[in-house]
Amino acid sequence: MTASTPQEFPAEAHAALSDETLKVALRRLKTHFALGRQLAFTRYGDMEALREQGRAIRDYALSRLDSLLESFERQVKSRGGQVHWARDAKEARDIILKILRETGAKTVTKGKSMVSEEIALNPFLEANGMHPVETDLGEYIIQLRKEPPSHIIAPAFHLSKEQVAETFRESHTELDPRRSLEERTTLVLEARRMLRAQFEAADAGITGANFLSAEEGAAVIVTNEGNGDLTRLLPKTHIVLTGIEKVVADLDDVSVLLRLLTRSATGQDISSYVTVMLGPRNAKEADGPENFHIVLLDNGRSRLIGTEAEDVLRCIRCAACLNHCPIYGAVGGHSYGATYSGPIGAALNPNLLGVSAARHHTNASTFCGRCAEVCPVKIPLPKIMRYWRAREYASGLAPKAMTFGLGLWAFAAKRPALYRFFSATVAWTLRKLGGKKGHVHALPIMNGWFAVRDFPAPQGKSFHHLWAHRK
Amino acid sequence: MSARDEILSAIRTRRVKNAPRPARYAPPPPESDLVKQFADRARRTAAEVQILNDLSDVPAAVADILRGKNMEAAIHLPPHSPFAALDWKTAPGLSLESKSPGPDDAALALVPFGIAETGTLVNPARDSAPASWHFRPGLEIAVIHTRDILPHMENVFARIKQSGALPHTINFVSGPSRTGDIEQTLELGAHGPKALAILIVEEA
Ligand code: SF4
Repeated sequence: MTASTPQEFPAEAHAALSDETLKVALRRLKTHFALGRQLAFTRYGDMEALREQGRAIRDYALSRLDSLLESFERQVKSRGGQVHWARDAKEARDIILKILRETGAKTVTKGKSMVSEEIALNPFLEANGMHPVETDLGEYIIQLRKEPPSHIIAPAFHLSKEQVAETFRESHTELDPRRSLEERTTLVLEARRMLRAQFEAADAGITGANFLSAEEGAAVIVTNEGNGDLTRLLPKTHIVLTGIEKVVADLDDVSVLLRLLTRSATGQDISSYVTVMLGPRNAKEADGPENFHIVLLDNGRSRLIGTEAEDVLRCIRCAACLNHCPIYGAVGGHSYGATYSGPIGAALNPNLLGVSAARHHTNASTFCGRCAEVCPVKIPLPKIMRYWRAREYASGLAPKAMTFGLGLWAFAAKRPALYRFFSATVAWTLRKLGGKKGHVHALPIMNGWFAVRDFPAPQGKSFHHLWAHRK
Repeated sequence: MSARDEILSAIRTRRVKNAPRPARYAPPPPESDLVKQFADRARRTAAEVQILNDLSDVPAAVADILRGKNMEAAIHLPPHSPFAALDWKTAPGLSLESKSPGPDDAALALVPFGIAETGTLVNPARDSAPASWHFRPGLEIAVIHTRDILPHMENVFARIKQSGALPHTINFVSGPSRTGDIEQTLELGAHGPKALAILIVEEA
């Protein structure tokens, strides 16, 4: 499959709507991740206080990111690790290649890392004679299929087990072609066997980090499979690639964020493995990496500080906003044609790819607000999307029809009588169209918009009407 | 300017917010006594939990677990394991191995801390407990003393910091390895252990 581009989002989204396998997978997000999250939240008790603490911890860290990063660097160095800084994707790729070359590495195991996708590390390493092997099961499957991830924590959720079986049959040619691959268990065991050999053979391992702690100089990763740990512990060199925004004050703050992350992501009270990585091994220890490197990537993150979009830097990449988004839930992740999809993608991509390239992402919103409600660190995602839309509008990139529509609205809005007439007529029409379900699927002049959106039909009285009534 | 200085100065010049440090978070207090909560939560993560009266019961319990799973009667102990000193004659036929465990082997670990809140085992890497041993075997059998079970993750970090230099890695383990990557359906034993058995030893 060839990866699509963000500009092709409308067409890709349209095609995705009739993909039956994808529909089944997307439906599962609700019964698995979303329901799991809800149950985990209920079990915990005061989730609201926990979310507020999470928000405050991230805000505190982001408002002194510079000193926390400096402290983190000092601590890592004091234990024999090395810290590298990369302004952009290219610098990060070059740093990693240089480390690999200096240690004579060829085979590189990888733990799941969205930052590695962001900088397109694998194709670069391959082009430079390295052999990167993804070890998270989902990432492994899509690497074999040459597909990008379709979800930030479940990269292969869009595939059926039959598709996975087909991929394994085509890729694991050294195994008996007549073996049965009907059960998920068999598929998992086959991947376990194939990848164990890769872990043992790897010269270097690359992982991401979910959090960094400034006081202790720790990088923390969360996994369920244990692949991140085998990636860190078995090879001679371990490289952690992560964004500069991941740092928080100390490991106690990490403990709080972990409670939010796993519950929001998979509905687990904690993931099977949480690993706190502090440095290279001591000479007398039996395992652990001899070389420990951290690559801190900016790639536009620092540019968000002080803007109306800066709250997006609080993100802990839990994917709850994807799992609860009506747009993502209808079209899946590949349609976006970008590393980050769903509401968090719409909030990040204009900065990463440019407001013009990512304009379809910020426009693909019903502004239902579900994403902000479920976000464990209370990121006002719709507000950030509106900010990017305003930026797009200001830069004159908005399509003519949209400018015209808004102009008309502004004209009418300044004239109350006209506005009341218009909105009453429009609300009446929408109510008729919405029928019993209260959702409008198409309007004659707005085909483009409704291709990817449903619109809740107006309920009850208009704001103008209510306002007049109260007075 | 170096990339480092450029990034740090971009952060400094753009910053407008000055958010205060939030007060320390107080996690919900344990619902029951710590050992009971630890055992309940560990079972929720699909770990098997047994309570033993004494450390000397470990060899027989290990032999039992292996028999129950139809596994070979062999247990891997890392070099310098404190369990080498146990009387293994109480488990006749069980062989002790010191080489690093393969994906279908069983390994025994002494775990220095547990977390009652989540039923989690905490393993700081050290000479007598190589970190990779928690991920290589097919079955990990973990022994923990009741006195080492603490309420929350924060308590464990405080203890580890008190004890001096930080290890290169701290592994928090909650249940066996798992994946939901195929059709979002849970399967145990992705890369790490397919099963985790916890032996809680009561204090003398
Ligand atoms: S924006 Fe919030 S909900 Fe979405 S991935 Fe980030 S932390 Fe999770």
